Amino acid sequence: MDTGAFKWNEREILRYLGHRGQEVPENVEALIAETERELERAAVPKAYWREYPLTVQDGVLDMDCLKTTSRSLERNLKDCEKVILFGATLGSQVDVLLHRYSVLQMSKAVVMQAASVAMLETFCDEKNEALKAFYKELGWYLRPRFSPGYGDFPLECQRQLVPALELGKRIGVTLTDSLLMMPSKSVTAVIGASRLPRNCSVQGCEVCGKKDCLYRR
Amino acid sequence: MNILQEIQNRIVFFDGGMGSLLQEQGLKPGEFPGNWNVSHPEVVVQIHRNYLEAGADIVKTNTFGVDALKYNEHTEYQLEQVVSAAVRNAKEAVRLSGKQAFVALDIGPTGKLLKPMGDLAFEDACELFGQVVEIGTREGADLILIETMSDSYETKAAVLAAKEHSGLPVFVTVTFDERGKLLTGGNPASIVAMLEGLRVDALGMNCGLGPVQMKGILKEVLRVSSVPVIVNPNAGLPRSEQGRTVYDIDADTFAQVMAEITAMGARVVGGCCGTTPEHIKKTVELCRDMTPVPIEPKHRAVVSSFAQAVEIGVSPVLIGERINPTGKSKFKQALRDHNLEYILREGVNQQDHGAHILDVNVGLPEIDEPAMMVEVVQELQSIIDLPLQLDTSDAKAMEAAMRIYNGKPLINSVNGKAESMHQIFPLVKKYGGVVVALALDESGIPETAEGRIEVAKKLYRTAAEYGIAPEDLLIDALCLTVSSDSQGAITTLETLRRVRDELHGKTILGVSNISFGLPLRENINAAFFTMAMQSGLSAAIINPNSEAMMRSYYSFRALMNLDPQCGDYIQVYGGQTSAGSGQSAVVRGVGAGVGLGAGAGSGAGSAGDAGSAGMTGVNSVLGNSIVKGLKEQAAASVRELLETKDALAIINEEMIPALDYVGQGFEKGTLFLPQLLMSAEAAKAAFEIIKDKMAASGQKQEKKGTIILATVKGDIHDIGKNIVKVLLENYSYDVIDLGRDVPPERIVEVAVERQVKLVGLSALMTTTVPSMEETIKGLRERAPWAKVMVGGAVLTQEYADTMGADRYCRDAMSSVGYAEIVFG
Repeated sequence: MDTGAFKWNEREILRYLGHRGQEVPENVEALIAETERELERAAVPKAYWREYPLTVQDGVLDMDCLKTTSRSLERNLKDCEKVILFGATLGSQVDVLLHRYSVLQMSKAVVMQAASVAMLETFCDEKNEALKAFYKELGWYLRPRFSPGYGDFPLECQRQLVPALELGKRIGVTLTDSLLMMPSKSVTAVIGASRLPRNCSVQGCEVCGKKDCLYRR
Repeated sequence: MNILQEIQNRIVFFDGGMGSLLQEQGLKPGEFPGNWNVSHPEVVVQIHRNYLEAGADIVKTNTFGVDALKYNEHTEYQLEQVVSAAVRNAKEAVRLSGKQAFVALDIGPTGKLLKPMGDLAFEDACELFGQVVEIGTREGADLILIETMSDSYETKAAVLAAKEHSGLPVFVTVTFDERGKLLTGGNPASIVAMLEGLRVDALGMNCGLGPVQMKGILKEVLRVSSVPVIVNPNAGLPRSEQGRTVYDIDADTFAQVMAEITAMGARVVGGCCGTTPEHIKKTVELCRDMTPVPIEPKHRAVVSSFAQAVEIGVSPVLIGERINPTGKSKFKQALRDHNLEYILREGVNQQDHGAHILDVNVGLPEIDEPAMMVEVVQELQSIIDLPLQLDTSDAKAMEAAMRIYNGKPLINSVNGKAESMHQIFPLVKKYGGVVVALALDESGIPETAEGRIEVAKKLYRTAAEYGIAPEDLLIDALCLTVSSDSQGAITTLETLRRVRDELHGKTILGVSNISFGLPLRENINAAFFTMAMQSGLSAAIINPNSEAMMRSYYSFRALMNLDPQCGDYIQVYGGQTSAGSGQSAVVRGVGAGVGLGAGAGSGAGSAGDAGSAGMTGVNSVLGNSIVKGLKEQAAASVRELLETKDALAIINEEMIPALDYVGQGFEKGTLFLPQLLMSAEAAKAAFEIIKDKMAASGQKQEKKGTIILATVKGDIHDIGKNIVKVLLENYSYDVIDLGRDVPPERIVEVAVERQVKLVGLSALMTTTVPSMEETIKGLRERAPWAKVMVGGAVLTQEYADTMGADRYCRDAMSSVGYAEIVFG
């Protein structure tokens, strides 16, 4: 990626760093800026998605390659007839840097951790907005993306979702036995598509049940 | 008919895609295609036959991604059953077609990332691949095709497995993205170097891109490779249409581009995702009668890391010599303590100063060198993208390191003694590498250049007997101390010249030996370095942190037209006013590192900042530097203070209050995490200086206690744990850092062995909390005296209570607080 080409959400970076309105000293600002430049050079954002039909019967959500029960996902997919299964990653070089700085310079490692999460979120948002516009042309309304692990959507679904999308081969995303995605800055999600628009789209922290999370907005 | 002869003589054709054709026949989404070898053999045989009739010479067995992770005692079909059925189906198709054709045992990625970045051990990957190779070979496959690889490390595991479990020819194709990079960062030059080092029979690319996008990458592959090149593209770029994947070019266009690709020099062509028998038929029609472009050896001396290749023999190559314990007591201690941070810092520092390759020597009489070599190489290659020079005289350590090295290494060294050659050359042949070849033998170091040239010839000759090309040898012309042998430098320089001019070989030198025993050694070293480069030196083992050596290097390149418009020279020295001694400007390497560039320094903010005492309640320059997180400033002021003040007094009166102030600020929320850590780093820099001073005067700082830290099994995120470590060390605790993904029994074992009173465990995922619980249970049983503190993103007080932890640490500072209670 070209240096300076990325639109950073500084507020999110600070939030992930546990910032609560304190003064941000110059040297921390400089560290954040330096980290952003480094991430712009190292990150290779990639995304991949594919459409699947959706049927719901007796609480079982059937997306062809993925079957699960989840009340929160079911709410999210209300009125949807199909889904887009989505995967995205910043690539393995970011992990190399994270590992490097967590040995050599912890302050930069935590800033990079926060900035790379913010970067990934922004990248996913951009991709999702583009998908939304594309589908709207065809008369479909997309729901906010919903990831395994949100609410009661089982993380175990990763075992079906990652291979079904062939994410290893397409964008280099693999799964560990304990269901971590590698590269660590990766996302998978289900995006519902409906013929009906829905105005109130709750997303981000608010859909999650973990109310005591340190990073909750 | 032999496949290796065929590809020497003509264009050979692979088949095309399998998965999408099976889907058309009813393979369900999420169902493994491999199942159909057993459940629908007639469908698989028919697809193979269609390809053979279309003109394919090689059919790939339907075994992509088939391994024991997916087929085992828990699954409907067994590995043995699936692989043998797949080979039989392909052979049956060949028989039915009545054609002379070959069956390639198809091997794809495991879908797992290898350690240390992922959780699959290198040797486990070798074993998974080896199982498939054995079955496929026994069932009569004609060759092994390792394909769609996007990680050089996993590719290496697969090639080693193929070679160790079979004698069949090995073809390898990797997947590049539109930038011409592998998903894990490698490029054509780096992957070709590694694969040719591993002696594969043909190599190339498949999947990921269409034929149009592959042309540029193919050009680069052809420029550097000396073996037949394979191109198996997708049927163009994919897009989703009504839930189906469709590709952007048709069979006719595909075939036309494949003809261009064949004309460029590809020797084996076929297709991947989305291609059908029609694509192959049209490609065969257009390409069958084309005259193959000759395959020519490129004679390049190349080493590689996971990310980049370094060619030796173009511009002088710098090999950093600092990762070596000889004469360095701190380094020796770091090795004994498994203090990898110290070693990694040496590596990064040399990269920042312009090293192209890092020498790695960890030999100490009292350590297990093979194990240490593996540990250090694995860590280095997970954070630094430079190729490594494996430097050991222990043959076991050498083989272990060459095996797990992610790329094609530089090997230090072999010499003209029969014993050395017969030990090292087989390793080079098997694992690949460029080897430093010392011009000495049983009769010692020849005194004359003529004598050294004779040894060099013997080395080249013997290497050739092992099938090792001359470009994979770097002749070490040897350099004797000029103070004891006044002819020494002249002999070395003459040897360099003659290797270049008479043997057309490449050379290497450990440059700094020359000045041993002389004052101001840099004077001699830098002058000799320039003379050596002028005499043809291809690679130099030097200290890149030496300004004098780097001045020689950059000046030589500028003068010899190796630095267009003196660009590098100006970038490094532009803005400096004098080339005199004692410069303080930091020389940054030019072009070193790919996306992992420099930047270990911190401490923005002016020196004046730190002097503004009072506002923080910490009333000293040192204290303020720590509070503000100014590393350089903290180091400078502690140096100054040590002139007048006792080390312990500095710690207790200036540093600890500053750390407490910051800690409290963090807890109150007036400071946030980056500030806490920048302060910790500034304190750490100051502590290092104090430690050196105390060590020099024989003083020892008392540690408050020993604490184990570990990220539990299954979890490979360790940032949280590392934050805690930095803080605890600043508070004078001895931290045993067991790393990440640590099995419960290992943690318990160390707690028992070292009688540790406090264990800190970190887990990030709900899925790894059970291993935390298991660890705590183990500790309660076998180390009941140990207190356990836990932390990590998913943990809560409630979780911690359920598991029976002694303390839930919400953030980094609370672990320090708890340690103070336990040891206080």
